[in-house]
Amino acid sequence: MSRSQTNHPLCKPGEHTLSRRQLLGTGAAGAISWGGLGGLINPLVADDMATREKQVLFIWIDGGMSQLESWDPKPNTQFGGPFRSIPTSIPGIHVSELMPKTSQIMHKLAVDRGVSTFDNSHSAGVPRINRGDPKDRGVIYPYFGSAVANLMGPGNSGLPPYVWVKPGSGGFKYQDAGFLGPKYGALAIGEGEPPPNILLPNNIDAQQNMERNALRTFANKQYSESRDTIFSDAQNFVFDTAQALMQRQTLFDEPDPKDVQRYGDTPLGRDMLIGRKMLEAGVRFVKVNSYGWDTHGDNFNAHASLMPRFDQAFTAVVEDLDERGLLDHVLVIAMSEFGRTPRINGHIGRDHWPEAWSIAMSGTGIKRGAIIGNTNDEGTWVTSEPHDIGHFFHTWFNALGIDSEHTEYINDGQPLPIANDDCSPIRELLS
Amino acid sequence: MKSQPFITVVLFLLSSLPLFGQEFYEVIDQQIEQSTTEAFAGQSTDSEFLRRIYLDLIGQIPTADEARKFLSNTAIDKRSLLIDQLLQDPRYTRRMTEFFNVMLMERRGEDPNWQLFLSSSFKNNVPWNQMVKQMVSPDTKEKNTRGAAYFLTKRLEKYGQNPTDFPGLARDIGRMFLGMDLACAQCHDHLFIDDYKQADFQGLFAFINNSFIRRDTDYPAIGMNPVKVKLEFNSVFAEGTFSTGPKLPGMDEIPVPEFVTGEEFSIPPNKDTKAPGIPKFNPLDYLARQLPTESNQSFNVNAVNRIWFLMMGRGIVQPLDLHHSDNPPSHPELLQLMGQQLSEHNYDIKWLIRQIALSKTYQRTGVVNPSVANAKHQQYRVYAEKPMSAEQLMWSMLTATGQLSHIPREPADSEPDTDQPLDDRIDQTLEGIRADFLAAYANPPREPETEFAPSVRGALFILNGPRVLSWLSPRPGNLAELLNQQADNYAETLYLSILSRKPTSEEAKQFNQYISSHSNQAKAIEQAIWALLASNEFSINH
Repeated sequence: MSRSQTNHPLCKPGEHTLSRRQLLGTGAAGAISWGGLGGLINPLVADDMATREKQVLFIWIDGGMSQLESWDPKPNTQFGGPFRSIPTSIPGIHVSELMPKTSQIMHKLAVDRGVSTFDNSHSAGVPRINRGDPKDRGVIYPYFGSAVANLMGPGNSGLPPYVWVKPGSGGFKYQDAGFLGPKYGALAIGEGEPPPNILLPNNIDAQQNMERNALRTFANKQYSESRDTIFSDAQNFVFDTAQALMQRQTLFDEPDPKDVQRYGDTPLGRDMLIGRKMLEAGVRFVKVNSYGWDTHGDNFNAHASLMPRFDQAFTAVVEDLDERGLLDHVLVIAMSEFGRTPRINGHIGRDHWPEAWSIAMSGTGIKRGAIIGNTNDEGTWVTSEPHDIGHFFHTWFNALGIDSEHTEYINDGQPLPIANDDCSPIRELLS
Repeated sequence: MKSQPFITVVLFLLSSLPLFGQEFYEVIDQQIEQSTTEAFAGQSTDSEFLRRIYLDLIGQIPTADEARKFLSNTAIDKRSLLIDQLLQDPRYTRRMTEFFNVMLMERRGEDPNWQLFLSSSFKNNVPWNQMVKQMVSPDTKEKNTRGAAYFLTKRLEKYGQNPTDFPGLARDIGRMFLGMDLACAQCHDHLFIDDYKQADFQGLFAFINNSFIRRDTDYPAIGMNPVKVKLEFNSVFAEGTFSTGPKLPGMDEIPVPEFVTGEEFSIPPNKDTKAPGIPKFNPLDYLARQLPTESNQSFNVNAVNRIWFLMMGRGIVQPLDLHHSDNPPSHPELLQLMGQQLSEHNYDIKWLIRQIALSKTYQRTGVVNPSVANAKHQQYRVYAEKPMSAEQLMWSMLTATGQLSHIPREPADSEPDTDQPLDDRIDQTLEGIRADFLAAYANPPREPETEFAPSVRGALFILNGPRVLSWLSPRPGNLAELLNQQADNYAETLYLSILSRKPTSEEAKQFNQYISSHSNQAKAIEQAIWALLASNEFSINH
């Protein structure tokens, strides 16, 4: 009962939307320390491994990846489907034959095969999972990316804290931020294209750009001298972010053909590669999106085509991060909104199955090679301790160094737990 | 209801508080000033006031000539004269149309019939209660006002994969006209707000849950299926089934009459013209009769609170749609008085705007001195900064740069302006300009624009977007040309044109030196114009 309330589309009372002062209060404080760097950030700063801050790569597989054709195969069983399982780099652990590359890096990953969530519809399930299914407190909770952007801040890269690399449209997407306010929404990179107006026009050279901004800064200083600076700080903050983005136009350069070959010449390969560059540049939270996994019909041919693209891009990015020493700093998560039904329907498809599925992760704070959780022989139910999305939010926050059980958002005076307070971290997954 | 005794007390106080021939703006100041013993900031400078009143009443900054004229005028009553002049300006109609469109539709879309309803209403200063009546129960025979139906029809349009959002429409009637967001009371009594009951939401819902968008008209029009029974609802918390007819919070339930099947219509549906039937019982008629009335306190208070927000940047009840006893108004007595006065003045919006504009409270400076440092906004001890809408930014940038005179007047006459070739990729019609400004500065659909929310998107638009940059080079009669013809004193022209004030000596020195010492003066002029357009002083209404 209360579950359906949590995501009620109407249940977003304005008393919980941020008041002006609050919207700007915390943000403005951040802006002062961060904004001072302006567009003059040395790109090398972000590459200093010694001081590197924790980051997140969140791979969102939209529509529902089949656990049986990926992390939790059940070959030769009633619902197992046509694919075989193959051994992995961890003795005794098998995955679907559709992920041969992943099987070789299994010792770098953690997989929980005992995921059990509740909502089996896309419309309610997607936001529910992305918000960590907090208890209903009458507010719209942020998606994980907005949560991390708020709790950990933008870091010192000068770039927006939350970047979403995806097929389709780009732009500035507020919707993920919930009660945290639009500031914590995502900067979306659509089709690998940079955001609108990111390029300095041809008729303004670097010198001229510096001159005009020096004049602007002078004018702003004059104005701020006798004013409440809350609005001005927020305004300066977005200009600084914009200029930092302009400094990083190389993020949108044509990729190295060798990289394209390794990541796959597919939308997911392209976006994963951009995602890696964003992480290298110091973006706090990068979401990479893969669409088209809702295989109600022809599940097996669909997975035969989709899985290799995931396998290639996912393996390449984990390997690259590891090689660059970044895997010690970046939390990597690969997940869908639910798994797919073991039962094969009349269209040779699999439907939505939140009851028993798998989530994979790697990187900072995660115990490598931890393959935990079990399903029964037919893959229909979790036989180990079932883990809901709330447990994972706790786990991930802790992997990032945030004490999820004692950290709260304060929204208009209302303290709000950052993760579902009936859940707790999954210790077996944490290093 | 918890707020009942409180309202009674206030009303009692009011009855003992005659205005004694005072103008209402004096009452406003009295109410604001007696609410605290702390210091208030002084009066705004003429240029502060000038820019503010232009932006608030006609939605744009003054031209440099208008600024010069006002600043050099020595008449003691020049402020009130300017207020009256701007209230008669055709651009007042445009400004109110834009403001109310954004507030009521929250960027859901545009419709020419709706625009006509708003603009003809504000042009003729149609009373607010009448406008609301037209919105909730539009008369299809009146060409100028029937577009008011767009308030209802647009909200009944499906978007994405969502079902028809009847609950959202009921919620918005509560938010926009009663200042109550009852969304969380849809399924249960509100968890935190004792005043908001599930029956309140369901009563509102019962007015509109049988409505539909008419498909037989080429303008927005609302139809109604016959309502035969009361609305039944369950609470997710309480046991049992409840029922209600159409009912406004705090008012009597409207009985649902019974009709023999076949007798529900006064005019039955017409299969040939596809005109839907007109039922004998239409809850929207009752809504139009009950909602915008003098006796409906919430209606009156919500109306004045939103006008106060227009002028002062925040509501006396804040957020605007959460009026209840646990979120008390900052100045309850003033709010009640204003609501009473508005109804006594026949819901004359222009009257109320004028009174607020004349008050010391509105004309207070935004410059912070130590005695008012860290003053809370709701005390109005210093004038608080307001965000500028996409429309205000557009008209103001057009005015400042002088590009306004280069816009084709009518869409039909939208041949490219050939005075001097601009970047020909850019559509210089008003439609093209507006689309760019909305993309850069407007909120997404269904997000209220009541908070200051600067975005990186907006910053990139002004930094690199071809739109505004295309207005900086010299063209006949524009600011750049004017500056290029000058030999010195650039700063004064720049500041009066863009910031509606004269520069300080430090500012004059900075800008004059920059331009006159530059190897490429024309370029330096463009840079200087840009810097002030991109400045915080320009993009904040202060």
